[in-house]
Amino acid sequence: MSINIKQRFYFKIFSSLSLIAAVNFVYAQTSVDPLDAPTWETVHKTMLFNEEVVFDERVKVVVPDVAEDPMNVPVSVRVGDIGEIEEIRVFADLNPIQKILNFYPGKIEPFIAFRFKVQQSTPVRAAARTKDGVWHVGGHWLDATGGGCTAPSVSSGLANWEDTLGDVKSRLWSRKDQPDRLRFRIMHPMDTGLASGIPAFYIELLELKDSNGDLLAHIESYQPVSENPFFSLDLESNRYQGLTLTGHDNNGNQINKVLQ
Amino acid sequence: MKSLSIACESGFLKSIAIAGILVAAPMSNSLAAGVTADDIKNDATTTGDVVSYGMGTQGQRWSPLAKINDKNIKTLAPAYTFSFGGEKMRGQEAQPLVHNGVIYVTASYNRVFAINAETGMQIWKYEHRLPEGILPCCDVINRGGALFDNLFIFGTLDAELIALDTANGKVVWKQNLGDFKAGHSSTAAPIIAEDKVIIGVAGGEFGIIGMLRGFDAKTGKLIWERPTIEGHIGTLNGKPNGMTGKLNATWPGDLWKVGGGAPWNTGTYDPETKTIMWGTGNPAPWNSHMRPGDNLYAISTIAVDPDTGKIKWHFQYTPNEAWDYDGTNHTVAFNNGGKKLAAHADRNGFFYTLDRTNGKLVNAFPFVEKHSWASAIDLKTGRPIETGMRPGNPADSADGKKGSVITVTPSFLGGTNWMGMAYSQNTGLFYVPANEMGMDLWNEPVTYKKGAAYMGAGFSIKPVFDDYIGALRAFDPMTGKKVFEVKNKAPLWGGVMATAGNLVFYGTPEGYFKAVDAKTGKELWQYNTGSGIVGSPITWEQGGEQFIAVPSGWGAAVPLWGGEVAKQIEGINQGASLVVFKLY
Repeated sequence: MSINIKQRFYFKIFSSLSLIAAVNFVYAQTSVDPLDAPTWETVHKTMLFNEEVVFDERVKVVVPDVAEDPMNVPVSVRVGDIGEIEEIRVFADLNPIQKILNFYPGKIEPFIAFRFKVQQSTPVRAAARTKDGVWHVGGHWLDATGGGCTAPSVSSGLANWEDTLGDVKSRLWSRKDQPDRLRFRIMHPMDTGLASGIPAFYIELLELKDSNGDLLAHIESYQPVSENPFFSLDLESNRYQGLTLTGHDNNGNQINKVLQ
Repeated sequence: MKSLSIACESGFLKSIAIAGILVAAPMSNSLAAGVTADDIKNDATTTGDVVSYGMGTQGQRWSPLAKINDKNIKTLAPAYTFSFGGEKMRGQEAQPLVHNGVIYVTASYNRVFAINAETGMQIWKYEHRLPEGILPCCDVINRGGALFDNLFIFGTLDAELIALDTANGKVVWKQNLGDFKAGHSSTAAPIIAEDKVIIGVAGGEFGIIGMLRGFDAKTGKLIWERPTIEGHIGTLNGKPNGMTGKLNATWPGDLWKVGGGAPWNTGTYDPETKTIMWGTGNPAPWNSHMRPGDNLYAISTIAVDPDTGKIKWHFQYTPNEAWDYDGTNHTVAFNNGGKKLAAHADRNGFFYTLDRTNGKLVNAFPFVEKHSWASAIDLKTGRPIETGMRPGNPADSADGKKGSVITVTPSFLGGTNWMGMAYSQNTGLFYVPANEMGMDLWNEPVTYKKGAAYMGAGFSIKPVFDDYIGALRAFDPMTGKKVFEVKNKAPLWGGVMATAGNLVFYGTPEGYFKAVDAKTGKELWQYNTGSGIVGSPITWEQGGEQFIAVPSGWGAAVPLWGGEVAKQIEGINQGASLVVFKLY
């Protein structure tokens, strides 16, 4: 495999960093879409604005091979040690709404897991931007029978969804030799706007803050995130208590919860 | 090796840090100048925009534009029709606003549209997600919004006040106006008085307490609250700010606690006297035998200080009101003979001319043919001379369950209703969208239960005349002289607009948007918009041309509550659009 310009660029950067960074170079990076999807050029433009990209297997996107429930496809994104991550964008090439979530890990681990809605078989990708402005892209093909984005939410058919709107349940637990795991669930219909007669109604912003009110992480979510969504994040072990989660949906409804 | 937050250092996260109720920092639209408090105060005289409800905060619905006039109106034709789309139609009662070449208009189900005023192309749309349990009395309508700085501010059927960024329709802040499950809702356009946004609340049929509120228009912070029923305490900056009226002065026992008086329509703001004039709705319940006394400040215009929310004066139209004659009609400021006056065409069928510096009555006369509940207004006391036609007390009936039935005019839908009349600064006349309807009405016992109708009355609406219900009538507010009338088969339910082109515009449920001669009432032009008109027209000038816009879409209270009248109009089909006209 010939070393292209981009790889030479990285080689320069990494060789100037520590030995660990140099070791990273053994991970495969390529400028050719490993998923070989005809949509890559389009999403490169619409999701990443044609900015500099490298496919990097250290950006791990874990989804099932087949979506059993197109309304609730579990996905996790973990970025290996490629330096400081400013932003992670998660998107699905062939979803009618491609943009799923933008995650600014800030002071926490570059890891996020949640569920989303899929309309048909599609590449599911995560792009992680390092401080040099380069997007490191990983992904996986998800096979699906489809329909997840155009079906109404369950709660849109219920009379009392408004009673629990924005309610948050959460848990933080420590794990041996691993970061603490935070998991929270927010009650919200997360309607895509593609089901007949039901306007788009979804959580737009979530912010995780420590007990001093300092921002730890920031999530911008979009219509394809599943109804009553769960999110899992990794935090430095035994460091945080009294975390708060704030945010709002596209109607301005507030989310504000001290996490237990 | 974890570093500090890179994103924070980049400044990105800082820009979206939120405080209090502020949802999102306004997006940068600094290139387009926002609407200033002065723009709003001067709205009636600036022809390039419409940045207030009533086309000027005094609510005259008057434009000095005369490019479209009685000579050339024949060539007025649609420039475009904008569809509100979706599967949702129902009543379109809004008055649009225009600023910097963009139309902002609300539609049924709390949708908001920003439209390029020249091309009719959509710029953005906001769709509010409504909960299932909303309790609007009279269709899922909205009457419009207010512009301030870079915000479009409007109320929702689930009783929220929402500020959208005019650049993109994103929510910037929002505030709660009450518990929608207890019957609070909001359908009227808020207004801007100085730097505050003022809005009331609907729900008088559910025994809510009427409340007028002033918020900082920029941030949404609550500044003051003024309850409209005596005995309740107002607030200013979170502290008590005096009781409304005097406890039990005009209300017996505890009934004031669920006394209604909802200021559900839009008020006006008079910068000349720095006074908000806002109408209040029916006292609750409808059954007036339960609440002997005048029941202040229901069925009144209250004049309120925009800085403090204190009541300066009030004028009550129908003391101990018993017919659902809400006093919520606009109180329109105008000057005559050096006097600062205000005019109000009330649901009770009488037109009132007030001194707006002190609320004293100057003149009052009927603007409907049939007003059997009262023969006249006593000009000395301001009180109606009642004919004794009140529904009987259920306690007097054999089983105590239903009082004697009366047949009375006007009906509870009123001699006029929510829709704004217009005032011509050239003719000095008020143009009132009037309706001739009567009703059978009776009272029943009722007790308050949260979220349940608190009325204690039954009714059935019927027409009065065979040939017409609606009538556009022109009155001299000083003499009471009726200068002309234009009859209409169906009840009129939309706003009126007068222009310096010697024209008066109004819409009909039959779908016609019409222009008549402002002096004679002669019909000069009409266009059928395809569905009934229950909205309010506006006009402005852009690129050297005068434009006129009116929402079209049949619905609102008449088809829901109209009884025999509703049967006459059941053939009118729904629609949902904004039709914009110019000369060709």
